[in-house]
Amino acid sequence: MWAAIAALVAALGPLLLRKNAGGPTRSMGWAGALASGAMLGVAYPLMTAGLARAGALAIAGGVVGIAGGYITHVVLGVGMSETVVHPMRATATSALHSAPEGIAMGAAMTIAPRFGLFLVATLAVHNVWESAVLASCLNQAGVSRVRAAVYGVATNAPQVLMAIGAYVVAAAVPGSLPVLLGMSFGALVYLCLAELLPDSYRTAGRTSIAVVVSVAAGVVALLGGVA
Amino acid sequence: MTALWSHPVVQVFWYALLTCIATGFGALPFIFIRSMSSRTIAYANAIAAGLMLGASFGLVVEGSHHSGWATFVGVNLGIVFILATQRALGQHEHDAEFLGVKGIGARRMLLVIVIMTVHSFAEGAAVGVSFGGTAALATAITLAVAIHNIPEGLAITAVMRPQGASILSCFGWSIFSSLPQPIAAVPAFLFVAHFSAALPYGLGFAAGAMIFMVLVELLPEAYSQAWSRTVAATVGLTLLGMVAMQRYL
Repeated sequence: MWAAIAALVAALGPLLLRKNAGGPTRSMGWAGALASGAMLGVAYPLMTAGLARAGALAIAGGVVGIAGGYITHVVLGVGMSETVVHPMRATATSALHSAPEGIAMGAAMTIAPRFGLFLVATLAVHNVWESAVLASCLNQAGVSRVRAAVYGVATNAPQVLMAIGAYVVAAAVPGSLPVLLGMSFGALVYLCLAELLPDSYRTAGRTSIAVVVSVAAGVVALLGGVA
Repeated sequence: MTALWSHPVVQVFWYALLTCIATGFGALPFIFIRSMSSRTIAYANAIAAGLMLGASFGLVVEGSHHSGWATFVGVNLGIVFILATQRALGQHEHDAEFLGVKGIGARRMLLVIVIMTVHSFAEGAAVGVSFGGTAALATAITLAVAIHNIPEGLAITAVMRPQGASILSCFGWSIFSSLPQPIAAVPAFLFVAHFSAALPYGLGFAAGAMIFMVLVELLPEAYSQAWSRTVAATVGLTLLGMVAMQRYL
C-alpha cells in the first residue's frame, strides 16, 4: 500500500513544470537535489544492515545493483552527458528505475517498518522529481501535463510489484535479505550519482545543490540509523 | 623515548603527517608522462569521491551515537566553513606571478594550491577527531584521507606540470597543500579528548566539509570530463568498498 502511495505521488511531478517552460526548471533541480541527498542517506543504513547480516552476500548484492544500473544505462544509451532525451527512452528509463526502488522498499520494510516508511517517503520525493523530468521530455514532444502525470504514475507500477515481491521473498527466504539490501544500496547510489546529481547540477547550479544535498544527507544519515 | 612515541598526540601527528606526505605521491606518475588525460583525472576524482563519501557517512554515524542533533549542527557548520572559504578565495582572486609564470597560468596554479591547502584543514580535523572515536574508525579515516590525497596531488601536478613546473616543485607544492593536516589534527584531537561533548560537533563538521567538497568540487569536475554513468559506477563501487572496509576493520 505504501509503495502504491509513493507511485501515485509521482502525479505531482508535472506541477513542477512551468506552463510552456519547454525544459527543466530550477525547482526541478532542487527537487532532484533533495531526492539525491535523501537517497544517498538511506542507502548507507541499507548497506550496513546487509553487512551486519551476511557481509559477502551484501557486497555481492551491492555489486549487482551497481552493475545492473550501469548495464541498463549502456543498453538505453543513458549517461553520456546529453541534455536532450528521447521521450520513449525517458519513459523506458523511468519504468526500469522503479524496479530496484521497489526492491529497496520491500527489503527496508522487512528489517524495520519505521525505516521502511522513511525510505518510502524518500522515494516518493524522488518519484516527484523523476515524473517532473519525464513530463519535461514529454511536454517538449507535445504531450499534455495531465497525460504526462498519468505516464509518471504508470512508470512507477513496477515499483509496487517489486516491493511486494521483495517483501514476500525476504520473508520466505531470510537468507536472501542481505543480497536484497546490498542490491538496493547499489541501485540507489548508482541512480543518484548517474542521473539525479548530474541533472540537478545542470538545472540549479552546483553550490546551491551541494548545500541541499549535504543537508539532506546529514538529516537522513541521522534518521536512517533506525536500521 | 618509547613512551613519547606511543603518546596519543604524537601518534595523531605522525598519522596526519603520513596523509600529508601521501599527497606528494600524486606527482610521481608525471616523472614518466608530461601530461595526463582529463578522463584519467576524472576517474581519480571519482575514486576520491567514493572514499570521502564513505568516510563522511562513517563520521556522521559515529557522531549520531553521541548526539544526533549536535552532529547535524556540525555538518552544517562544516558546509558554512567551506562556503565562506570559497567566497573569500573568490574575492582575492587576481593576476599574479608564480614559479616564473605570469597571468592565467599562474592564477590557475595558485588557485588550485590555495583551494587544496584550505580544505586540508577540514581533512586534518577529520583525522584528529576520528582518534577520539574507535581505533577502527581512526584507521579508516586516516587511510581514506591518505588515499584521497593522492588524486589531489595528481590534480595539482596536472595543473602545474603543463605550465613548466619541475617534478620537484610539483611534489613539494603537493605536500605543502596538505601541511594543514598534521597542523589541524593535533588540536582537533586535543579539543575532542578534553571536551568530549564537542565530539559529535567535530565529527559532523568534518563530515559536512568533506561531503560538500565531494559535491561541489570532485563530482562536477568528474562529470565534466567523463560519462556520468562511468563516474557513477566508479563512485558507487568505491563507496561500497569503503563501507565494507569500515565494517570489517
